[in-house]
Amino acid sequence: MTFEQIIFYFFSTILISGALGVVLVRNPVYAALFLILSFFTSSAIWLMLEAEFLGITLVLVYVGAVMVLFLFVIMMLDINMDPLREGFVKMMPLAALVAIIIAAEIVLVMASPSFNFDQSVVHAADYSNTKAIGNILYTEYVYPFEIAAVILVVAIIAAIALTLRRRKGVKHQNPSKQIRTKRNDRVRLVKMPSSSTQNRAGE
Amino acid sequence: MLEAYLPILVFLGVGFVLATVLLVLGLLLGPNRSYPEKDSPFECGFAAFEDSRIKFDVRYYLVAILFIIFDLEIAFLFPWAIVLDKIGVFGLVSMGIFLGILILGFIYEWKKGALEWE
Repeated sequence: MTFEQIIFYFFSTILISGALGVVLVRNPVYAALFLILSFFTSSAIWLMLEAEFLGITLVLVYVGAVMVLFLFVIMMLDINMDPLREGFVKMMPLAALVAIIIAAEIVLVMASPSFNFDQSVVHAADYSNTKAIGNILYTEYVYPFEIAAVILVVAIIAAIALTLRRRKGVKHQNPSKQIRTKRNDRVRLVKMPSSSTQNRAGE
Repeated sequence: MLEAYLPILVFLGVGFVLATVLLVLGLLLGPNRSYPEKDSPFECGFAAFEDSRIKFDVRYYLVAILFIIFDLEIAFLFPWAIVLDKIGVFGLVSMGIFLGILILGFIYEWKKGALEWE
């Protein structure tokens, strides 16, 4: 076993334990933290495949942004998990069906000839995965690339449509209006009759 | 290929050792006079009012999702920038269209007031 293999199995063990932790722990916040561990270790495995850009992007986008979103979603849900567990036995057949379909799909993909595990690809010393991505992503795959932009815009519009609510009765300060105010807007001088006539009227 | 990561391993090792040494030193040398009140959780001097697992406002979610979208947009710029001299005008135009579509989305969210915090 070479040194690289040892490192690979080290990271794989952490990755699989982290993935198991995601589904096995009871506290959803802990599950999200296990998912972060899984993302970090898969990024390490991508680094071993010399896919440096993808590895860093995985950490930046998934750990830095998507997991924050996951934690927000967990915080927005009702954190009391007991009612959620009630349907466990009832939902079991459906869950098993979904799991079997996913497993079958993974096997089909892995068994296809495009996945060739026998030969490991050896790159030249000056090979740069980032350059390889850049060379084809913006030229050969330009159509999927533009579709990605459209999908992102759809995500913007969907997120705004779903979550943007105007609140009624929010009290604002308007600083520019506060500054522009004049003395006459705030103080009103009233002409009053002199005090002697007032006293006589009181008697 | 793995030799390139040796400095990172050294960095991790130094960081780990330094953190351990500092924690252990603090534990050994610092005074430790604890009593139950000192160790109990507190909230600005009061007993804790409620559980910290309260529901968040959905507007945090909106800010986070808008952040992710533009985070991804920036991520697409990195490989593009280092091969720009090879992919030429075609690459420039394809990135221009990409950014143009996303700027439309940006204008939409700006005008819609999604970036305002009431």
